[in-house]
Amino acid sequence: MKVFIVPPNSLILYDLVERFGHEPLSVMKAIRERVTDLEIDSPPLNVTPEDVKKGLKYAGVEVPSGIRGRLALWGPLIDQAEAAIVMEDPPYSFGCVGCYRTNEMVKYLLRKKRIPILEVPYPEDEEGAKRMVSEIKEFLEGLK
Amino acid sequence: MIKIAQLSCGSEYSGVQGEIERAATAVGAKMVSPDIDLEEVDKSVEKFGFSPTSPQLRLLIARGVALTEGRYDADAVFITSCFRCAEGALVRNEIRRYIQNHSRMPVVTYSFTERTKAGQMLTRMEALVTIVSRKELLARERQVGLTLGIDSGSSTTKAMVMRDNEILGKYWLPTGEVLSSASEAVDHALSEAGVSLNEIEGIGVTGYGRYIIGKKMGAKLIQEELTVNSKGAVWLADRQKGEATIIDIGGMDNKAITVRDGIPDNFTMGGICAGASGRFLELVAKRLKIEITELGQLADKGNYRKVNMNSYCSIFGIQDLVTSLAEGMSVEDVASAACHSVAEQVFEQQLQEIDIRQPVIQVGGTSLISGMVTAMSDVLGQRPIVPAMSQYIGSVGAALLASGFIEGGR
Amino acid sequence: MENESETRMIVIAPTSDITPDRVVRFIHSLGRQLTIKETCYGAMIEGSKKDVREALSEVRKLDPNRIFSKIRGYPIGDTRRCRAHHGSRPGFTQLEKEWKDLSLVEKGLSAAERGEKVKEPKRKEKIPVKKLRDIIEEVKE
Repeated sequence: MKVFIVPPNSLILYDLVERFGHEPLSVMKAIRERVTDLEIDSPPLNVTPEDVKKGLKYAGVEVPSGIRGRLALWGPLIDQAEAAIVMEDPPYSFGCVGCYRTNEMVKYLLRKKRIPILEVPYPEDEEGAKRMVSEIKEFLEGLK
Repeated sequence: MIKIAQLSCGSEYSGVQGEIERAATAVGAKMVSPDIDLEEVDKSVEKFGFSPTSPQLRLLIARGVALTEGRYDADAVFITSCFRCAEGALVRNEIRRYIQNHSRMPVVTYSFTERTKAGQMLTRMEALVTIVSRKELLARERQVGLTLGIDSGSSTTKAMVMRDNEILGKYWLPTGEVLSSASEAVDHALSEAGVSLNEIEGIGVTGYGRYIIGKKMGAKLIQEELTVNSKGAVWLADRQKGEATIIDIGGMDNKAITVRDGIPDNFTMGGICAGASGRFLELVAKRLKIEITELGQLADKGNYRKVNMNSYCSIFGIQDLVTSLAEGMSVEDVASAACHSVAEQVFEQQLQEIDIRQPVIQVGGTSLISGMVTAMSDVLGQRPIVPAMSQYIGSVGAALLASGFIEGGR
Repeated sequence: MENESETRMIVIAPTSDITPDRVVRFIHSLGRQLTIKETCYGAMIEGSKKDVREALSEVRKLDPNRIFSKIRGYPIGDTRRCRAHHGSRPGFTQLEKEWKDLSLVEKGLSAAERGEKVKEPKRKEKIPVKKLRDIIEEVKE
């Protein structure tokens, strides 16, 4: 199954989803398509003003361009998602996940889809990590 | 290579990062991003005192703090975030203040949309580069030798001839074809000065048409209007030392600049909305069937509060003014409302992005409209200084700075 | 699909004895058509999806619970995100943090393998206002 991960560039989540036999939907994938397209020249991410307009599908024009641009990158992935894992309060994340409003909107779009979603806190200690991995494992193994 | 530190949120996802870099490259500068460790971010946010929820804004703060502590080397700072983002706007302005309080780097702030193009940022970037690379030239306070300054503005073209810190001749006319307008202004200024073009030791050009005119006339100085106008304003107002704020409302755009010893350290520029420019007042005068020169005196006699204006727009706003006339308001009240509309917009859009320093010097073509100065006084709570010949700032500044290129320097 | 190129980051948990150098030499020894670059955290490999994935599953066998991986948007050596020009990528500090925490994830993976039962955490709830008022009264006296 295609599993959307939040933060969408997390190494830990990407690895675990793949490890337990599913396909992670990550922002790296969306960026890959853009940066390897030689026709587009809008460095560094090759997000173009046209992309930002496509973001209007997810948010109106009064919403800042940075939010619409991010949603234009992730929106199509959310559309494909069959399940999602959301890590709450990760202690990092700049750049693509740098906008709090966008992150809230992404979580909302996922919840609205009524697909299976697992929300896990970022582990702070060994116990937390054990809990996180076992929850993720159970969740992913339960996806059919 | 001049290094401009970029403190930003959202530029890459709005498709404008490439435009920002293009603008910097075009003026011989390079955008750089201070490198920050994760641990530094929270410490810097705590030190700064404003804790935004968006991680990218936290990183922006850490980058700003690193710059002020000299942990990263840059010559100027460009702070930019998405238009319409409240959190971004708050952080943008507060980190700008912090940097100004803790360093001497010139700073400019800017909010972008996906439609922002390199051209819109060019003058701002060029000004940052000029401030850094021409520090000595900008420190010049006296004009020496015989020089000519030309200001090719979007609405009017001005020329001025100066000799040893004295104005010998000047002229202005509405801008038509750029080169011929400049040549007409120059001819008149030279004739008033009683000198010929081949006696001129140095030419300086600023304004929209600076490149084409500068090239044609072999100008020694071709420079953007932010730094040149600042210089002209403090020279005309005789406020070369210390701090000041310059409000320059021209025909098409407006600028708010804070200066220290005549050199800008923070500035904002309008130019998106005609409703915040002299052009708005011209349109109003036309609809009122009066001369633009009469508008100011009429406005001074009117009361803007009587007129209901729902928009700053040069179409809808003017429609409101016309409707008010039909409802029996006097031309004086309407003229006053028009001036207030421009002043309020400049206050809301430009003056909120800088910190006003005393004294305030109002210049540019609209400073000749007394009602516009009254309106500005109302929004500022005090009357700005309007120097004599305040419309000539660009040409004075250009003539003054061009004298820095005369051989021997005198 | 299988000919589509892919760039992968292979990240070794700090608790592993495997070195990036060893990973790189190991991948070379697989004799596949891959571009390989050693990094502080492991390696980056690039090639056809098929080659990349097969190499990855071999590499993982070296230390299954301590070798992690994710794809990378930019090809190896892409200057658009070069640290020298733009400062570190926004994702860099994140990778740094996640790398440090991989040792925790490793413990989680090993525990899951053993089928260890994990205790439910106690959720802290906000105390009722009345209780807070009582406490304030108490402290005041």
